[in-house]
Amino acid sequence: MGAFASLMKGMFGSKEMRILMVGLDAAGKTTVLYKLKLGEVVTTIPTIGFNVETVEYKNINFTVWDVGGQDKIRPLWRHYFQNTQAVVFVVDSNDRERIGEAKEELMRMLAEDELADAKLLVFANKQDLPNAMNAAEITDKLALHTLCNRNWYIQATCATTGDGIYEGLNWLAMTIKKKK
Amino acid sequence: MGTVSELCASSFQAFLCPSVRPAAATVPDDLSPEERKELESIRRRKEELLHDIQRLKDEIAEVTNEIESLGQSEERKSMQRNKQMAMGRKKFNMDPKKGIRFLIDSSLLKNTSDDIAQFLYKGEGLNKTAIGDYLGERDDFNIEVLHAFLELHEFSDLNLVQALRQFLWSFRLPGEAQKIDRMMEAFALRYCRCNPGVFQSTDTCYVLSFAVIMLNTSLHNPNVKDKPSVQRFTAMNRGINDGGDLPEELLRNLFDSIKNEPFKIPEDDGNDLTHTFFNPDREGWLLKLGGRVKTWKRRWFILTDNCLYYFEYTTDKEPRGIIPLENLSIREVDDSKKPNCFELFVSDHRDQVIKACKTEADGRVVEGNHTFYRISAPTAEEKDEWINSIKAAISKDPFYEMLAARKKKVSSLKGL
Repeated sequence: MGAFASLMKGMFGSKEMRILMVGLDAAGKTTVLYKLKLGEVVTTIPTIGFNVETVEYKNINFTVWDVGGQDKIRPLWRHYFQNTQAVVFVVDSNDRERIGEAKEELMRMLAEDELADAKLLVFANKQDLPNAMNAAEITDKLALHTLCNRNWYIQATCATTGDGIYEGLNWLAMTIKKKK
Repeated sequence: MGTVSELCASSFQAFLCPSVRPAAATVPDDLSPEERKELESIRRRKEELLHDIQRLKDEIAEVTNEIESLGQSEERKSMQRNKQMAMGRKKFNMDPKKGIRFLIDSSLLKNTSDDIAQFLYKGEGLNKTAIGDYLGERDDFNIEVLHAFLELHEFSDLNLVQALRQFLWSFRLPGEAQKIDRMMEAFALRYCRCNPGVFQSTDTCYVLSFAVIMLNTSLHNPNVKDKPSVQRFTAMNRGINDGGDLPEELLRNLFDSIKNEPFKIPEDDGNDLTHTFFNPDREGWLLKLGGRVKTWKRRWFILTDNCLYYFEYTTDKEPRGIIPLENLSIREVDDSKKPNCFELFVSDHRDQVIKACKTEADGRVVEGNHTFYRISAPTAEEKDEWINSIKAAISKDPFYEMLAARKKKVSSLKGL
């Protein structure tokens, strides 16, 4: 890209933002991912592989990867962690049994050097369920207050209805713009 | 002795037609005591024989009856089974867990990981996305099925990408990372068992397989903007061979193979209409008279699920027309031009257009315009068979008749 083009892009065009979406099985990652595409009727050629979606919001082009798996494959992800601006951590607010496991998963992720500067957006998902822990409880259970030097935000969501998802993206967009 | 033989003849007659029995056991007077004795014993034997014959006849009738009803109920049973199987497949395609539950409850599937894996591997009439969803579940039992499913795959002498291509054709890989992780781990286990010595450890194979899926995503998913180079791919895989590196040539070959040929999306055969037409009540060529233009067209008819479908060709996936049989009547008719005709019509409402739809040449689906469907079968037998099958498939919805009656009332009131 030429200097002028990049200047133009900086002023008017969209920024690229790479996001990793993490969370335990059945936390609702896929639902969040496809809710992001809400209203956009794009028929993309289906591809065998990981769920990856792009969404443009407030002039920022978000590319969201579904990431996860056991520790053995973590070295592979490291290459994808580079240049990752944010981690979206989706947690099933209704699953009290596995909230500890979720916390461990989050902490392991954040310990990666490549993610030292990445912002953290937590989606306290499945708020529609009667027994769901609220955002404050989730903050506590995930020990988010103990995070040092981490720009984080927690948002209560219900991915099936889409509630809260754009509020979360909004926070991401604001923090990115502030920084640049 | 002549009389004895005569008697024998008469008893033989009685043997043949037991109803015509001599009125009374008369004994001629001119018989010696020995002859009398002999006659008596012959008569006794005759009685016994007749008795035996009747008993045997009864028994035969009973057994024949039993065989007949047995055959019928066997037939009915197998039809019932087929129907339930088809329903189970449909349920599976909508919700894999419920489908499997249903098939097990209907004793069409054993509740073992081997049997379920076999069922998924055959995949007849199953949606491959649904298979992938089932195999990807985190449940211990589903993981067991996943491993049994892999046991059915033969990967010997295939290179890693070839084996992956085969595996990923048998179901639609879900997009969730954890599911892919479990599937690649199970795959690697099987691959290494089929090809001992190719990889230093199954972990190496597992991580590399996972890397190949990442590569396919990066190279071919249009949402991924920065496409990795072969250098990045080899760098990514550094140290995955129990701390060491895999040969660069191997990685290069993998990269080229995936770059040149993405993993194919497996074809579903559960999602489209072919599934609906699987195991129909009846199918065959018939001639159909046009609704507006009165020409005879040869169409492939399929009768299933209380609907009559017709196609231009037997291989067509989409029907040209669909006629729901609800509240229709059928009768034989004579046609001046075609033999063996029958008609579908709305009884009591002769001019009413039958609720049906058809596909225009440009692909639009429009309402049908038939007030009756006249159809000609190739032979008289086929005509009878079609009429019987259609009769059995016609369902009556009393609500519909009630509505029609009410409509009639309203319109007659308006007339006043």
